[in-house]
Amino acid sequence: MAAIEESGGGGHKKGAGVKKQARKDARVDMTPMVDLGFLLITFFIFTTTINSPKAFKLNVPDDTAKEEEKNEAKASGAFTVLLSKDNNVFYYEGQLASDGSNFKSSNFKEIRAEILKKKANTPEKDLVVIIKPDETSVYKNVVDMLDEMQIADIKRYAVVDIFPGEVELIKATQGTPAAK
Amino acid sequence: MSKLNKIARKSTWVDMTAFVDVSFLILTFFMLATKFKPPEVIKIDNPKSVSSDKVDDKDVFKVSFDGEGRVFISFSSDKEGKEKAQLTAEVLSRQKGLGLTPAEISTFIKFSVGGIGVPVTQLKSFLALSDAEYKQFKQPGIPVADTLNNQLDTYINALLTGTGGRKPANVMLNGDNGTKYPYFKNVLAAFKKNGIFSFKLITSLEGVPSGTPMYKKQNPQAK
Repeated sequence: MAAIEESGGGGHKKGAGVKKQARKDARVDMTPMVDLGFLLITFFIFTTTINSPKAFKLNVPDDTAKEEEKNEAKASGAFTVLLSKDNNVFYYEGQLASDGSNFKSSNFKEIRAEILKKKANTPEKDLVVIIKPDETSVYKNVVDMLDEMQIADIKRYAVVDIFPGEVELIKATQGTPAAK
Repeated sequence: MSKLNKIARKSTWVDMTAFVDVSFLILTFFMLATKFKPPEVIKIDNPKSVSSDKVDDKDVFKVSFDGEGRVFISFSSDKEGKEKAQLTAEVLSRQKGLGLTPAEISTFIKFSVGGIGVPVTQLKSFLALSDAEYKQFKQPGIPVADTLNNQLDTYINALLTGTGGRKPANVMLNGDNGTKYPYFKNVLAAFKKNGIFSFKLITSLEGVPSGTPMYKKQNPQAK
């Protein structure tokens, strides 16, 4: 109101007054808009998730398949990985020696190098990695190991039930302080 | 003096326009880059893998197991998923003599989006729960430990009987890091028994370690 009266007052002042008012109107206070923006950001942060799940394709063999149709694994090309509790990993190449001399202890970091070494030393058609999780291993271990197969680009691998003899060996190894 | 006053007053005004630009830019990023969290009744911490395939959300049959080994089944909320949930409930009701009413079957369809984890015998009383009670109720999980009474097998068998042997397009396995291996083995056994040999594990993404064969395959130009 004051501004209008002022502009109506003096003829020579009119131009300056109008100009001043127009400049003031063009400036919008953006603070509430900032508030709104950040409120929406907060809302989105809390209600959404950024890591979208990924699918890991897994094909399992048919157990009821006829015996002669099953793939024969050459013992020399076999690499067996045993998974146990506390992320312990054990492995042996080929067949397990009766005295357990080729039974070695490892972990998830070092097993990759062993798998790659085996892969380099074995003809591709003979190579097969056998994964044997025991009763105390967790789902994560199995998926990690399947993942290693993808990382190492192993074509043939299988998840197989563990043998009682191997469970004994794992227990014996875990019992000794050297395995830590 | 008045001139000095004017200058002092003007300096308190901060131009917020740029701030608005930034906040809306971040907002746009969040809207595009993220997805709404699915309403999960079960808390599951997925393992990581290098696999980067997208998870389909159409026509999904999902089996979940949490850290305690409780097993749940769920269907997607689209038309296909609802249809399969309905068929499963109908066949279960018929095979096991549960006598589910149409209202209970529609409750089954509703709950199946979030996850159903009760033994078949408890299904009828479970479906009497209201929505709020369902969220509070600690489901015991579908029993799988006993190979003779693997009830996940019963559920899957009901599903496949209902659809006439037609498998859902996406069979998924949503497991928790800490679940003991025998649970996973028993879930696999139920899948195998019903002729499901191909399925997807739900994992979260992890980078491929450099220098490995897979890394070389993906980046042929890298030495």
